[in-house]
Amino acid sequence: MNGYYLSQENVKDFISHLMKKKTVYAPHAKADHSFVFEEVVDADNVILDYVRTLNSIKKYFMPSREVMLRYNLDDNSYSIEDVEPVKGIFLGVHSYDMQAVLRLDHSFSHGNPEKNYLTRRLDNIFIGTSFTPDNFHFSSSVNIQPHKTEGFDLFMHKTDRGYVLEEVTKTGSDLMKGFDQLTKFHGEYPNSEHFKSHLYAPQEKLSKVFEESYDNPVWHEIAQKCVGCGTCNLACPTCYCFDVEDHVDLSLQSGSRERRLDSCMLRGFTEVAGGEVFRDRLADRIRHRVYRKFKYISDSAGEPWCVGCGRCTIYCTAGISIVDIVNRLVSDYDKKQIVQDSDMIAAWD
Amino acid sequence: MIKTVNIKPENFKELYFPTLAEITEVQQFTEKEKWYKLSLLDGSNLGHYPGQFVEVSIFGAGEAPISITSAPNSYGSFELCIREVGMFTEMIHKMKAGDKLGIRGPFGQGFDVNELYGKDILIIGGGIGIVPLRSLINYILDHRQDYGRLIITYGARNSKDLLFPEELELWQSNPDVEFHQTVDYGDESWKGNVGVITTLIPPLDLDLKNTIACITGPPIMYKFVLLTLQSKGLQDDNIYMSLERRMKCGVGKCGHCQINHSYVCQDGPVYHYPDLKLIREAI
Repeated sequence: MNGYYLSQENVKDFISHLMKKKTVYAPHAKADHSFVFEEVVDADNVILDYVRTLNSIKKYFMPSREVMLRYNLDDNSYSIEDVEPVKGIFLGVHSYDMQAVLRLDHSFSHGNPEKNYLTRRLDNIFIGTSFTPDNFHFSSSVNIQPHKTEGFDLFMHKTDRGYVLEEVTKTGSDLMKGFDQLTKFHGEYPNSEHFKSHLYAPQEKLSKVFEESYDNPVWHEIAQKCVGCGTCNLACPTCYCFDVEDHVDLSLQSGSRERRLDSCMLRGFTEVAGGEVFRDRLADRIRHRVYRKFKYISDSAGEPWCVGCGRCTIYCTAGISIVDIVNRLVSDYDKKQIVQDSDMIAAWD
Repeated sequence: MIKTVNIKPENFKELYFPTLAEITEVQQFTEKEKWYKLSLLDGSNLGHYPGQFVEVSIFGAGEAPISITSAPNSYGSFELCIREVGMFTEMIHKMKAGDKLGIRGPFGQGFDVNELYGKDILIIGGGIGIVPLRSLINYILDHRQDYGRLIITYGARNSKDLLFPEELELWQSNPDVEFHQTVDYGDESWKGNVGVITTLIPPLDLDLKNTIACITGPPIMYKFVLLTLQSKGLQDDNIYMSLERRMKCGVGKCGHCQINHSYVCQDGPVYHYPDLKLIREAI
């Protein structure tokens, strides 16, 4: 696979080249420090040097709302809503958001492979860009470096004067055909960035830490601050829990069944008919969410379900940091180990 | 690396598409509970096991998980018993024979009838918990020679809340069934036991090694039933129980029914108690 220099001046032409092939989705500025993925209409508006987008590209494969069925109430006839592959080029995706998509792929394909999600995922091309971690990114702690190319077809490594473009897959190489403003790159691809935020344990250890953390007082302490709004769920690129609701049209003759993203932080999430709520305490809901990111799925799937993007911490209305929670669990675990070790030494003496 | 599963598009599953079923019979048991007999309009058999559930859907109202109360059969009909407890069940309660409902499923793990083979079966049903257990009871009655004693304990709030009145009489008079029932609150018309369901268990003479307890009831009941069974000397290995949760999608995706790592709609609703002990939030 080849690598090329792509100067800052050539980036616009490169985007125009991509736009001739397929619909391109890329980051755009929304406000001074907000970015969103949108369909590219004008290559000039694309911003590849961004911190993070408000939402991840999850929204294209698992829309926050989608119609599952349409029905006619007069004769009980109903039909399934057709789902089309997105068939886009996703440009400027950060490695943690790519990893989040790979995690969603796992969630929607194991057990019952879900048509809606998996169909949208067909025939897409992903072009990554490296990022400079801010105070909130901690993806290196969950084994996702800014230059991780897994899942991408092409990868744009940021350099001082532009990018080094790495071909990762054959699809990526094919995409480069017809674009000739390139000089070949020989050498090592850049592969490290400095992170300011860290989890103090690798996943192998986290799994053990979480085995011991179920009754940690931290869940109740965080519940004193948390307002249970569910923003962390909405911001999370690997959260996919959903609810399904029916909407009847004003005519009262037809309607649709829609699914929308739901939030395990909301009290009603586990409520059943009759009023029983199975995770009534906020502390239990906080624990459930954090365990879902580091233990419940990770134990069988092999990687943490948190990708270290930092969104849940930035957008938390109460200023709660998932990094602080996990590090507190790690430090409590370590203290306990030290006590156990010294007990053992004492017993030995 | 994440363990990925590669699936070809032809194997993608349409998970949320209901099949229409017609209500063929309705019977009102109590003020709040009605029994429905249904048949799938495409003529297919539901093909369920005792303890499984279906997602019932009404267009315009939504979907809800409902236990199947009939035993598996080959003639294409199945039965549900539904308590009116909210907007959705209120709409079902207004339906009559000839009306149509959407059905998805059956879903989940029911009672493993092969695992129960040859054993004495102790049924413990609290309130509406008798609904899924009735499927197992009738399955055992249909295959009576394959099982040992059939001991049914059933408790309801009061005598007006007892479900399946005709069948209760049949079980009572059947020499092959040991039937015990109680109500929490007695009244003038009630001549039987008064007390919570756990009062029925201590007097039972059980072959502890060969008895399997199958429990379904309101969440509050489990703790007390388990304590009673333990003091009776029944091993955890001999206990199966069915959990209630909000099983919205039925296919292990939506997350509502999840308890720790377990999706109740996939691993349950019927669990072997030793497995359930590892799930902290379960009981």
